[in-house]
Amino acid sequence: MADPAVDDVLIVASLLFVAAAATAAVLNRDPARQAVVLSLLGLGLAVLFTVLQAPDVGLSQLGVGSALTPLMILLTVRKVRRQRERRDGERHGGKRRG
Amino acid sequence: MNGWLAAAALLLIAGVGPSLWNAARGAPGRRVVAQNYATLLLCLVFLLLAQGYGRPAYVDLALVLSVLGPAGTLVFARLLLTGEEAGEGGEPPGTRRLTPVVAVGTAATVLPLCVVTGPGRATVKLLVIGALLLAGGVATTRAVRHG
Amino acid sequence: MSRRARLCVLAAGLLATAALLVAAVLRVPSFGGPWHPYGDRAVEAALRRNTANTVSAVNFDQRAFDTLGEESILFASVLGTVVLLRRTEDERTSEPRPVSVPATMRRYGIAALPVTLLVGLYVIAHGQLSPGGGFQGGVVVATAFHLLYVAIDYPALKRVRAVGLYEIGDALGEAAYVLTGVGGLLAGAAYLANVLPYGTFNTLASGGTVPLLNAAVGVEVASAVVVLLARFLSQALEIEGGRE
Repeated sequence: MADPAVDDVLIVASLLFVAAAATAAVLNRDPARQAVVLSLLGLGLAVLFTVLQAPDVGLSQLGVGSALTPLMILLTVRKVRRQRERRDGERHGGKRRG
Repeated sequence: MNGWLAAAALLLIAGVGPSLWNAARGAPGRRVVAQNYATLLLCLVFLLLAQGYGRPAYVDLALVLSVLGPAGTLVFARLLLTGEEAGEGGEPPGTRRLTPVVAVGTAATVLPLCVVTGPGRATVKLLVIGALLLAGGVATTRAVRHG
Repeated sequence: MSRRARLCVLAAGLLATAALLVAAVLRVPSFGGPWHPYGDRAVEAALRRNTANTVSAVNFDQRAFDTLGEESILFASVLGTVVLLRRTEDERTSEPRPVSVPATMRRYGIAALPVTLLVGLYVIAHGQLSPGGGFQGGVVVATAFHLLYVAIDYPALKRVRAVGLYEIGDALGEAAYVLTGVGGLLAGAAYLANVLPYGTFNTLASGGTVPLLNAAVGVEVASAVVVLLARFLSQALEIEGGRE
């Protein structure tokens, strides 16, 4: 039913997308912005799994990578930044180095 | 030549690919809008793949993404575009175009699929996915503009 | 051991691993070929038990004990996270302020919660028929509740979510899986053996114990994720103070 040429195009496109997204995720150093790229990496992996005929794994990837992982990453970043701001505010005028 | 798979490949390369480019660079607003485009277009890709491979079970992937994709965008809009990370004000580029693009894309994908599937539970599922995509697009656009 | 000696040992280990890897890769069947002896046997066994989704049959029937291990990993890691993220004596809780959000977002949050919940329950219930199952559906159910946080604000989520209930649900889901396995022992077969009638192929009542274990995992995963996110949210939005 599936034309093998288009099939291959889909597989190659998904593989290249995943490779590009993973590279972009490594090159983005700020964790909050990296979370956006990681979300796209998750989507790319879901497509890759689907075109390789593994929809169960693709569904797991969608479930975890769409909303759950970004939420945990961003909440952690928010907590760390708030603590750092509070610590810097308390040290205002002090001599202690960070 | 399987038209559905070809359409899926086209949407993947021409739609989701540029979204990655925009999501990897630039201001947070632009990134979140790119992620929004990516999830909504990818949902359409899954619908096309389900028809192209002849496996209606893959529609469940599109169903889950149609609810979790907007949820993910709202997470970013809440935690990345408000608070300390928020940079310049104003609307990120591409925000206004999102709802029309989603509306056109959804109609162009869901309606032919409904015609091919014929009446029944599967068609209702497709229409529900289309409605969820539209609602998600509207809500996330509002969230991005509010942030 | 000196640094050089350590590096030599590392190099030796890496070389040995590389040799084994190359030897294995040379014998791997070609990409995408039709030869898969384990796959053939797994599909045949799944069909014999009237389970339409072979992946679920492998997870909950043929390798059910491994899934018990995986579920326990999630349970234990959530337990550990709850301990790590608890409020200590030198931290205090501050009441989070409600945020004003546009009406569109508020309406979307309230409308999308039941829809997402239904989608999650649908994915759990159809685990033995179509792609999905307890884990995937459980995560969707947990995300449904948190739509209230992202679309409205944190006090709205707290009003709807009673964390104690989900802590109990987490433990109940884990226990249900373990006890369903005992049912196999009581019926005279092995632990976690599929002893229920197999039902009709491609209907909701098929696969024997697969739907039951599926539901147990669904309850456990949904509750565990809610509890996990509750701790993250509490630390990020409510708890202040404390030493580093």
